[in-house]
Amino acid sequence: MLAALVQAGGSFSRPSVDWHAASPELILLGVGVLITVIDVVWKQRARSLVVGLSSVGLLAALVPVVTLAVDGTPRSMFGGAFVVDDYALIMKAIFLLSAYVVVLMSTNYIAEGDYWENEYYSMLLTSVLGMLLMTSARDLISIFVALELLSIPAYMLATWRKRDLKSNEAGLKYYLMGVFASAIMLYGMSLLYGSAGTTLLTGINKAVSATDKPTAVVTLGVVFVLIGFAFKVSAVPFHTWAPDTYEGAPTPVTAFLSVASKAAGFVGLMNILFVGLIGRSDVYQPLIWILAAASMIVGNTVALRQTNIVRMLAYSSIAHAGYMLAPLAVVSADVVFAGGGSVVVADQALRATVTYLAIYAAANLGAFAVVIAVARKIRTAEIDGYQGLFRYAPGLTVLMTIFLFSLAGIPPLGGWFGKFRVLEALISPGTAWGSTLALLVVVNSVVALYYYGRVAVKMWVEEVPDGDMTPVRVPVSLAAALGLTAVATLAFGVGPGLIGHFTEVSLLAGIGG
Amino acid sequence: MSEVIVFFFAAAIILVGAVGVVVARNPVHSALFLVQTLFGVAIIFLIQDANFLAAVQIMVYAGAIVILFLFVIMLLGVDSAEELDVDPIAGQRPLAVVLGAALLGVGLTVVLVAAKGITGARATAGGEHALDNGLSDVERIGRVLFTEYVFAFEATAALLTIAVIGAVVLTRRAAAADMLPDREPASFELPPLAPAIDEEEEH
Repeated sequence: MLAALVQAGGSFSRPSVDWHAASPELILLGVGVLITVIDVVWKQRARSLVVGLSSVGLLAALVPVVTLAVDGTPRSMFGGAFVVDDYALIMKAIFLLSAYVVVLMSTNYIAEGDYWENEYYSMLLTSVLGMLLMTSARDLISIFVALELLSIPAYMLATWRKRDLKSNEAGLKYYLMGVFASAIMLYGMSLLYGSAGTTLLTGINKAVSATDKPTAVVTLGVVFVLIGFAFKVSAVPFHTWAPDTYEGAPTPVTAFLSVASKAAGFVGLMNILFVGLIGRSDVYQPLIWILAAASMIVGNTVALRQTNIVRMLAYSSIAHAGYMLAPLAVVSADVVFAGGGSVVVADQALRATVTYLAIYAAANLGAFAVVIAVARKIRTAEIDGYQGLFRYAPGLTVLMTIFLFSLAGIPPLGGWFGKFRVLEALISPGTAWGSTLALLVVVNSVVALYYYGRVAVKMWVEEVPDGDMTPVRVPVSLAAALGLTAVATLAFGVGPGLIGHFTEVSLLAGIGG
Repeated sequence: MSEVIVFFFAAAIILVGAVGVVVARNPVHSALFLVQTLFGVAIIFLIQDANFLAAVQIMVYAGAIVILFLFVIMLLGVDSAEELDVDPIAGQRPLAVVLGAALLGVGLTVVLVAAKGITGARATAGGEHALDNGLSDVERIGRVLFTEYVFAFEATAALLTIAVIGAVVLTRRAAAADMLPDREPASFELPPLAPAIDEEEEH
């Protein structure tokens, strides 16, 4: 019977696979499977091995990313559904390095709590695998599968402190809101597919920018897809899950969610926006404008009133989502003259957001690493617990100040360059809407300085409340995480050309626009 | 002609099932009526030569999803019939009647207005995506699944595996000593999944 079926199948030709282009994903998948198998055979006895293996796996996956970047030719597979170009590679590098730092932060935290360790790392690696797929996904189905692949392990990681009610609440809220957003996004995608007849983003771009475009259906599709991603990047008004989830989840997972997961949402959004919908800037520009403005204003204002540092960082990350969304609100295929040459508005916006993502990742991961280190002694995340930190942990205080002021955007720390690129992208098209948004970015940065500064004052100026001056003991891996993020934050600020060189990327080449 | 007969037969199955879902007092009966409706829809798919959809409809909806409903109903108590005399949300029923009638009206309008456009013929345009190009739908789905969408397909395998692992980790309690995390508190108890129903049944 099988032979008959094969006969009937006739002319099936195997799709060609560029193994080099797919190798980062394949390495990560291989290591993930290996960890699962090791877990089945040796159970919890293999724990120390698994931590090392996941670090090595993440760094090993970075090797083909570098060789592909050196090679430099854009590669495309499966009829254009899987694309490896400079943009995909820089984002893959950001995801792998962020995940490596998260593993460093997790090592002691997970080993010293009552947590399932081996599964923790397989969840983490699978989530990163989804993020790598997202950077290369150029059709609706790949984007959706990548989004679920990165989200579902994240839902479970958020509830990893099983015996803590807050962690249960964190995971459940994240899961329910996430599934709801996925359903809405899927509905939007089905509308886009229905009006274009193809799931490939390039084909969708042709269909939605044609002169006889089906307007109402496309508009509805764009709105629904945007809502789905707005949830993922925790943009106001789809941010309500973020503070509770961030507070309840294990702190390394919170760092992972606020950096890598958010960045992955941006990557998916940018893929759809730049490759699939750039012809319909009339629909998405106002929507993103509102999302960006609301995220900045609400995020920063509510952060002013927080007494818990994790919740404060959660609202600050909502505000940062607003800064990163802002350049996307002016995206169009127009060409402007800036910096002595002509540049396409869309390219400039893409570079601004990618640059901001990289710099934000370093500073935010660092801030969470300090929170984890300090919590090892003071056992709380209340901001009042940071009083007089300088008296007994001067090193951590200096690092925390660096990270917070980088988030605030003060030169010479990395954050200023990110804000600079965002403002440049907003102002250079010369539209009133863009300039208004730029003004909002500036005003909000000043507001944000207040709550970052308040933590700094508590650490530097005030006295230790209970007089306990025993120093904080920082384990080696956590110290490595702190060192890496601090060096990156300083390097991005002092030598912005460093990151600026890598983020000279474009997504428009794929659509010939 | 035979197509018409089968259609009316399937339509009758669907409608009886749909009414049954709403009318049945016992939630288990409602779920079983739902199976009937979904089965009728599968027949309609078969008339349209959508063999794959028909099979998936029965396996996924009638099989997996309704069984999941039944599990939940069992967990919450099989015999707890719905109290129909009290309206939990005031004005809910009149509103449901109005909205239902409106939905029916809209649906009928669309069908009647577009009646001229509906010919029942299959699309022949669109090259390989045409519905009438000689390939069966199972073969066609198989082809795109293992060519254009093979990467997403393989990623789905990883997704399902990790979802199962995570669900097991989150729901299980440590059984063997070598599977214990470092310090499992002895006194820890999960709250029961559903409120105990035994006492109520005895009344």
